Amino acid sequence: MSEPQQPTDEQLDTYIRARLALAGVDLNQLPESSDPTTGAPTRSQALDSLRTFVKSTPPAIANWAPSASGAWAAAYAQQASPPLEYPSITEAWTGTVGGR
Amino acid sequence: MSREVNRRAFLARSTAIAAGVTLAAQAVPASAATRKPTVTVPDVDVREAARRDPAEATLAEAAVLMRRGRLKAVDLVQAHLDRINKYDATYQAFAVVVGEQALAAAGNADRGEGKRGPLSGIPLCIKDNYFTNGIATRANSFIFADFVPDEDATAVARLKAAGGIVLGKGQMGPLATTRATTPNGTITTVNAWTPNNASTDPGGSSTGPACAVAARMATSSIGTQTGGSITGPSNQQNLTGLKPTMGRTSIHGVIPLSFTRDHSGPLARDAMDAALMLAVLAGPDPKDPRTLGLPAVPDLVRSATPVVSSGGKVRLRRATRIGVPTDYLGSASGDVLSIRKTFLDKLAGVSGATLVDVTYPDDWALLTGTFNAIRLSERTEPFRHWLRADPTAFGVSLLTWLQGLMLSGDEWITGQRAKNHLLREVLDGVLSSCDVLLQTGPVPFDILGLPEIAFPIGFDSARVPVGAILGGGPYEEDRLLEVAAAYQAVTDWHLRRPTDPAAAKLRSLTAEPNRPRITAEEAAATSS
Repeated sequence: MSEPQQPTDEQLDTYIRARLALAGVDLNQLPESSDPTTGAPTRSQALDSLRTFVKSTPPAIANWAPSASGAWAAAYAQQASPPLEYPSITEAWTGTVGGR
Repeated sequence: MSREVNRRAFLARSTAIAAGVTLAAQAVPASAATRKPTVTVPDVDVREAARRDPAEATLAEAAVLMRRGRLKAVDLVQAHLDRINKYDATYQAFAVVVGEQALAAAGNADRGEGKRGPLSGIPLCIKDNYFTNGIATRANSFIFADFVPDEDATAVARLKAAGGIVLGKGQMGPLATTRATTPNGTITTVNAWTPNNASTDPGGSSTGPACAVAARMATSSIGTQTGGSITGPSNQQNLTGLKPTMGRTSIHGVIPLSFTRDHSGPLARDAMDAALMLAVLAGPDPKDPRTLGLPAVPDLVRSATPVVSSGGKVRLRRATRIGVPTDYLGSASGDVLSIRKTFLDKLAGVSGATLVDVTYPDDWALLTGTFNAIRLSERTEPFRHWLRADPTAFGVSLLTWLQGLMLSGDEWITGQRAKNHLLREVLDGVLSSCDVLLQTGPVPFDILGLPEIAFPIGFDSARVPVGAILGGGPYEEDRLLEVAAAYQAVTDWHLRRPTDPAAAKLRSLTAEPNRPRITAEEAAATSS
């Protein structure tokens, strides 16, 4: 499996601005310098924070899969741990709580 | 979803509708009353301190005093208002106080008019992210600065239907993210135990409700928890906080932070008060489908009643294996380590309690650490309108809302898959060798929606409270209450109250100008 080249900070900044713009959010609405009245971050603070986040968190999440082994590990991992939005509620709705 | 699931949800809805509650009606579902025991305040022994000062009384003590004709609701409410007037300029626990309204409700209670129930005449602090009919609900955010709901959140409606009196709205971290600050990050609420030192962590984001109860400015309170916001302030301010299982309480009418993790629950003076509050709050709500089709609410008041033999020996209501993870002592040092050791010894001495060493699975840190970020997309989605219109309206709390836009849909799904994986590791692994599990942080059980109870276990050398968090299996709040109640029957940490600060002249609804501020980066790093 080939490893894609990691994006540069400049590329990440472009990506972040583009993603925000697609969602309708304009970083230019943030102040250029510190604004004690609102306490909102400056544009550069926001960009720095998002760059750090984008470098670390999404890749760590995307790299995880339920463990499986063998040549078809990826296929078995697909079957493992179906996504559950509300795990504790699912325990109740499937009748598996109350017996402990 | 299976047919059984659909059938359960359908039956729950049908019960509510048949009982005369429409889906659009103000939510105090009659179905709740059909699915849980009648809530009655037991005849607890009333301490001399509570007889002398109504503001000292626990909820149960106050209810008993009123039932015996020894206390009027008006006097109880006035006692708390007096303390608010005297001390809240320092504490800044309240965002709004509705004193006249509360006194009028108390007068009605004394005359036997209005709503009657287990909370009759009890003054309550409501975290400011719960809708309150006709009372500003700002969540300490510029976004909601002018918001006055025309309905009560289900939780508030239930408290009022049980006779509870809203005394005011509690300060909170902006949009339920951090310790309580103004929208621009200026600290408002202090820890009730160090009122003159704003740097002491008071716990967040239900900071105001915690401070109000700890400082005897409200008999009890409700908060919300997405990442420790009930258990944290409870531990920091010597209270008993109960974060129930997801779905046990409705979050309809709560300003959202993360839909899959927002929980509603009490911050109270002891296990009995927490049980009484949760017993009123719990049960199905047609307006919140997460509450439907779930196990019946157990008799929480019974669970919080200590079992004492005729010889005075306390025992657990049920034999309970208490899991102690390797980092419970391993991650602690100094005062906290010493307090935790003493706590474990005391707990082990309660008849019926067995301490069990447990080990986390290998991927625990990843799935409860980095994967905690999955919640961020959920806060972004319901706030898109304001993110587009004016991101500065998020003030100091903006960054995590922007971070939520940086997670892709497939990564969010991976997060949900990881929840299921983690759930099995907890229920089939860790909790297979124990019934309840001591926590070193609230996040793992917040992710899974499992119940947690926080209670006091001592004080550090700076006289700041230290607490424990105990987690349990799904819908096993009763087991958590049993353990906390037994521990509180053999200790008195929960009965200790902070010393009053010097009375300030005027109460202000804004932060004192000399209080420190937190930055946007700090807010992101500590966000619920």
